[in-house]
Amino acid sequence: MNGQGLIKGLGITLKHFFQKEITEQYPDVMPELATRFRGCLQFEFEKCIACGICVNSCPNNVLSFETEKSENSKKKKLLSYTIDFQYCMFCNLCVEGCPKDCLHFDHDFELSTFSRDDIKRVYLRPAEMDEEKEADAAPVQDEQESKEQKQIDAMLKALQKNPQKILAKMLEQEEDIGILSELMQSNEKTAGKIAELLVKDKEKAAKVAAGFVTKEKKNRLQAEKGGEE
Amino acid sequence: MEHLFTNLATALTGWMITLGLSPVWADVILLLVKWIIIITIITLNIIILIWLERKVSAFFQERLGPNRLGPFGIFQTIADAIKLLTKEDIVPSAADKLIFKTAPMFFIVVAVMLYTVIPMGQGMEVINLNIGLLFFISMGSLSTIALLMAGWGSDNKWSLMGAVRSVAQMISYEIPLAFSLLGVVMISGSLNLQDIVAAQDNIWFVILQPIAFLTYFIAATAELNRGPFDMPEAEQELTGGAYTEYTGMRWALFFLAEYTNLVAVSALMATVFLGGWQGPWLPSWLWIIIKTYGVILVFFWVKWTFPRIRMDHLMSFSWKVLVPVSLGNILLTGAGIYFCQWMGWC
Amino acid sequence: MFEFSAFSLYDAAFLAIGGVTILGALGVVLFRNIIYSALSLVFTMLGVAAIYFQLNAGFLGAIQILVYAGAISVLIIFAVMLLMNKEARRTNLPTTRTKAWFAGGTITVMMLASIIAAVGFSEWPKTALQGVDNSVGMLAELMLGDYVIAFEAAAILLLVAVIGAIILAKGVENK
Repeated sequence: MNGQGLIKGLGITLKHFFQKEITEQYPDVMPELATRFRGCLQFEFEKCIACGICVNSCPNNVLSFETEKSENSKKKKLLSYTIDFQYCMFCNLCVEGCPKDCLHFDHDFELSTFSRDDIKRVYLRPAEMDEEKEADAAPVQDEQESKEQKQIDAMLKALQKNPQKILAKMLEQEEDIGILSELMQSNEKTAGKIAELLVKDKEKAAKVAAGFVTKEKKNRLQAEKGGEE
Repeated sequence: MEHLFTNLATALTGWMITLGLSPVWADVILLLVKWIIIITIITLNIIILIWLERKVSAFFQERLGPNRLGPFGIFQTIADAIKLLTKEDIVPSAADKLIFKTAPMFFIVVAVMLYTVIPMGQGMEVINLNIGLLFFISMGSLSTIALLMAGWGSDNKWSLMGAVRSVAQMISYEIPLAFSLLGVVMISGSLNLQDIVAAQDNIWFVILQPIAFLTYFIAATAELNRGPFDMPEAEQELTGGAYTEYTGMRWALFFLAEYTNLVAVSALMATVFLGGWQGPWLPSWLWIIIKTYGVILVFFWVKWTFPRIRMDHLMSFSWKVLVPVSLGNILLTGAGIYFCQWMGWC
Repeated sequence: MFEFSAFSLYDAAFLAIGGVTILGALGVVLFRNIIYSALSLVFTMLGVAAIYFQLNAGFLGAIQILVYAGAISVLIIFAVMLLMNKEARRTNLPTTRTKAWFAGGTITVMMLASIIAAVGFSEWPKTALQGVDNSVGMLAELMLGDYVIAFEAAAILLLVAVIGAIILAKGVENK
């Protein structure tokens, strides 16, 4: 019968009239996004190894970075990483290419900015990264120091136990060795100093030791003179 | 409650006569008061109607519609009206300025004139005219002139095209519109709308005249230039038809008049086919409002369901389907009345 | 407060309506733009309809609006629009031929004189009859009763005219 379609159409709209609205109340209620929704591209500086795969895989030249080659290692040092987001077409190729998973899309889709420059995001090398390296280096130094300290302690003990044998390496005359060993036994500071120097710098230790001996000799000569007078 | 407004009118007349006015002048002033009330009601009504249409159309499309300004966005239309009032009034330099400026006024005046004869309740009408129904139809036919003026005055091909379309459509559909009402007139034996309402004491004419009801509904949709018969406006093809060049308040007047026509035609439909102000429990003026709004909702429903049809299809539908059907309905009604009298039922 | 023994509200309304009608009629003749003339004709016809209403001939008034103001005038405007090929404000200029001036003037004067004479020499008796309540019913009885043959003949005449117009416009197919 003619006109059936009209009634059917009216029925359809009536059905929709009583259905729930599908409008998203976006600024008031944030939309529920799928887990793999591609919003803003995020970069994690710490993970990046500056391999350049992302730059090569990007069809639109969105990504670029600067590196610096440090002198004593082969590793490139990443200085800055730039995402020029205005060209991004959310193809996901950079994310797939990255071997270290330092690129990913988050759920932030409110990407508009007030000026065109703001949409270009530059990640500079975070200061913490360098600080962290220094912080990493410091305990090593401590270890070295403690190691040295142990050596010094051991040397000191050796000096107190058997001075002649060690001092013979620095001083040639027996008289001098005798004088210095006497001095060290009477004064621990001298012994400590010589032990330290022996561990660190042997030539300097020999000079200092010689200096101590000549000084002691002078003192003794004066003491003898004074005794004579 | 039933006689709230009629009593108010009587009290007002009595008060004016005690002030020393002659009864004739009191009647004239009462008439003016009635007009002012009608215009106020129309304006307020339309603010609600536009909001309602936006809301209803949104619901049909599973949207929310206006929901920012006030509860459920009810103040949205008021904001829109203020915006339209403050907009720049542009008259195209090539336009025929006199005609261009007169057209919206003519349109709204004609639209408001329709309310003269509609009974808003028991004993509530501006003028109890003998030929109320005919007056309504003839006043409705005048709006073609306003649209033609707008289309011609704008000096724009889209405007003229829309005007020509709407005139062709309105003149074609006036015939089935009048013919469909004729069946009702034959049964009630009067053109007076109050008499027609009174004749529906026992049974509504929608049951006695279902074909006329349908024909009237279709023809009225076309007369109103409403979807699916909104070719004269046709935003997609004609960029707004006769209203293309209008801005600000002039455009708003056209918009206002369209909705005024919608309410008037719906009120007439409620009066002629749905028993008018008659109904149980509630006061009569509330019944006519409820029925009118019911009809308006059906108009919304139809508009937001069907797509716009083609102009030639529309014209051939009027002349080849609606006119014969409505003529057949008149024949059927006459035969029915004759049969009824022969059997001695009425 | 107001005393209108000689000049009633009814007369005031009549003067207003008559003014609109005459101004409209003058506009039809005097406007240089033929579209303005056609629209003035609408106002004239509305004025005539209003006079019918005032004379308690509501049915005639409504028909006047429906047929003349609503349909015929639209037809006139359409015809004018189709035939216009000049600048709009120079489409209805007064004629330059003296013969035409003379002929038009003569007819106008003769008609005015006859109307004035008819009004002046007639007796205008006041009737005690009230306006008929059911003018539509009486009209119907006259048209479909006493004058049914004339009515139907007019209908057939119009039908023939319509068919003739279609044939003139579309032509007859020769088989």
